Amino acid sequence: MSALTFTLKKIPQQRIDCAPLTPNMLAGKSAADIGAILLQSGNETLRADALFDISGDNVAEIVFANGCDKLDYIGAAMQSGRITIHGDAGWYLGFRKKGGDIVLRGNAGDFAASGMTGGLLHIHGNAGDFLAAAIPGDRKGMAGGLVIVTGNAGDRAGDQMRRGIVLIEGDAGDYCASRMIAGTIGVLGATGAYPGYGMKRGTLLLFKPPKLHATLQDCGMHTLPFLKLMAKSFRDLPGKFAHLDQTRARRYAGDLANDGKGEILVFSN
Amino acid sequence: MLTKLSGGTVYDPAHGINGKVMDIYIRDGRIVERPRDDERIDHEYKLGGKVVMAGAIDMHTHIGGGKVNIARSMLPEDHRHDPAAHSGLCRAGCGHAVPSTLTAGYRYAEMGYTAGFEPAVLPMNARQAHLEMGDTPMIDKGGYAMLGSDDLFLRMLAAKKDQNAINDYVAWTIAASQGMGIKVVNAGGINAFKFNQRFLDLDEKNSHYGITPREVLKTLSRAVYELGVPHPLHVHGNNLGVPGNVETTLNSMAGVEGYPMHLTHIQFHSYGVEGDRKFSSGAARIAEAINKNKNISADVGQILFGQTVTVSGDQMSQFRNAELGSPRKAVCMDIECDAGCGVVPFKYKDQNFVNALQWAIGLEIFLLVDDPWRIFLTTDHPNGAPFTSYPHLIKLLMDKSFRNDVFATLNADAQTMSTLASIDREYSLYEIAIMTRAGAARLVGLHDRGHLGAGAAADITVYTDDADREKMFAKPDYVFKDGQLVVRDGGIVKVVWGATHTVRPEFDRSIEKEIKTYFDKYHTIKMEHMKVGDDELEDGGRSRVIVQECKGRREKTA
Repeated sequence: MSALTFTLKKIPQQRIDCAPLTPNMLAGKSAADIGAILLQSGNETLRADALFDISGDNVAEIVFANGCDKLDYIGAAMQSGRITIHGDAGWYLGFRKKGGDIVLRGNAGDFAASGMTGGLLHIHGNAGDFLAAAIPGDRKGMAGGLVIVTGNAGDRAGDQMRRGIVLIEGDAGDYCASRMIAGTIGVLGATGAYPGYGMKRGTLLLFKPPKLHATLQDCGMHTLPFLKLMAKSFRDLPGKFAHLDQTRARRYAGDLANDGKGEILVFSN
Repeated sequence: MLTKLSGGTVYDPAHGINGKVMDIYIRDGRIVERPRDDERIDHEYKLGGKVVMAGAIDMHTHIGGGKVNIARSMLPEDHRHDPAAHSGLCRAGCGHAVPSTLTAGYRYAEMGYTAGFEPAVLPMNARQAHLEMGDTPMIDKGGYAMLGSDDLFLRMLAAKKDQNAINDYVAWTIAASQGMGIKVVNAGGINAFKFNQRFLDLDEKNSHYGITPREVLKTLSRAVYELGVPHPLHVHGNNLGVPGNVETTLNSMAGVEGYPMHLTHIQFHSYGVEGDRKFSSGAARIAEAINKNKNISADVGQILFGQTVTVSGDQMSQFRNAELGSPRKAVCMDIECDAGCGVVPFKYKDQNFVNALQWAIGLEIFLLVDDPWRIFLTTDHPNGAPFTSYPHLIKLLMDKSFRNDVFATLNADAQTMSTLASIDREYSLYEIAIMTRAGAARLVGLHDRGHLGAGAAADITVYTDDADREKMFAKPDYVFKDGQLVVRDGGIVKVVWGATHTVRPEFDRSIEKEIKTYFDKYHTIKMEHMKVGDDELEDGGRSRVIVQECKGRREKTA
């Protein structure tokens, strides 16, 4: 069995909703069935085989051979299996994903990992704004699982995030961890303005000194034994966070304007 | 243009026709007598074996006004999970519990409904409610203006103004807000909430005005009757949802002293305090009282299980319920000097003791009230369930074994508290036609709707008779609106815009002097700006205003 591969016939003019192309949605479908799946593209509804050349037969292993930033909702509500995207992905990558792995070898659009509750999302590139955040109207962002971004993340990464781990190996934009409810965000690079803005609970791990606003309070340097456990749990992860080994950090509590049970741990390396 | 509907089995309770095979003729949007033999029939629909009824009328459904819009903006998830794509004819929309205006209109028509009445039009927000209803296609609309908790009315009562002055104010309110009638929500209670009272029983005084709900109900029911408004005072009682409120409801019935009164969503007002959990069914007592008091009518406000949202002017109750919201969010607000508003999303669960018993209480009331002309089929959309569940509700009423099968799956403790399984009654098609057509039209005061006699507007629904009543009522074969075919096989084939129904009782214009002074002193806009004009309802000719007849001033007869 070879991976089920979708190759775009041409760069589409309109955005395409790829939510039906996940392992659980395609389970038990024949090649003909898969080709006949209707996809929304702009204001048109088109057959999958009109947009993609489709090959392979293993629906648990899906590959988008030439992704582009117009492919929205890849891996939405996915429960198991694996999706690999060569090239970029559009908005809402891994939207409400419950399980399984997504590996993106390119850049993701906005709202990647929004509402995700389980599994891995590994972005080998940059993520757009609102990584792991809630979509407008929702009150909780990502609620479980693991996101690794090897590049940079845009603004509002982890906005209203509820649970799970987001590890950004590059920089994060403005308002990182804003209104965060719980969970863990790590950023190896720099953060923009107002990190932890309105943060309620949760942990933000930073490795470059952030510019903090007034309602985040410096609690001094601490040696925190739990960091050793956390580092151990990261040991098998792909990427740079596997090498985390510090247990000493400067702790900031906040945002005091919103309950103030969150913490920002700044490591000095 | 002459259209013939031939050979259908007709149910027209207004004329006592119960399943008679007959022809119906339509000319220029009206039902006409059988034409002369030499007249040419332009179009004939052969309806042999089909069931023909007037278009259904929902006499209590929240489809317009501020609270519906708040519910929409509060529930993005309701919209995301239920999108309705555009078609060649219909525009796109969304929403399960609170659909967008266009989608609401389409869905009503697709179920054979041709009219719906918004029961809580705050006079101050009447313009917005009418604009929203004006944007609801397919069906006729109308609203009941809300009084009873507004400061001017309570001031007048506190100042012991005579009934004539009150009558003039009530009539002025109907005219200014283009209403079909008057509704009272938690009589005086919404106002009392503003003075920090959290409960208000029938004989409890508003701490500021010293007025009791009993006085409000009595004065307003008398005013509506004396003005000759066909729709009796539409009452959302006090103590909604509070165990033991069956006493309040029974006292309210007695409190109007024989004047006509319509008790709305009475299921929510029929709770006793028996049993281990101090929550029990008061349905039998309520039904007995309705059977006895011929001046009382009621609609049920049946709950059905699933996600919905409760929208109400009853800010006092909604403030109590806010904690129960699911998903947990709520809005409670004052609205000028008029009243209030509360919106709480709610999920009724079949394994929840209270919800399961509420379900049973609603059905008990349906089945124990003898006279279908005085009990009406509603879910208080969207408070008990969205209106799209009406076919399911009709099946529950018409099919005893189906009803008992569902009942047997509910919370076991609730089952032991209900007599539902012992009730054998099944509604007939004729009785359903009374509840949803003839009776509703008569209650609301629609003289040319809800029946199939000559002169009536040709709002007609044709169903295929099916033992599965849910299937039958969910998908009519044909729906005619004012003589035009608008739905075929449960799908829209033509979009029309319906009309707005109003009444215009006579009154002494000099009352405006007092109202104007009050507006100038307390309100944010001028009195003249608050009035809704016909041109606004007609919307450039897309819709029209139908003024239904008032009987003229009358004195108490009994």
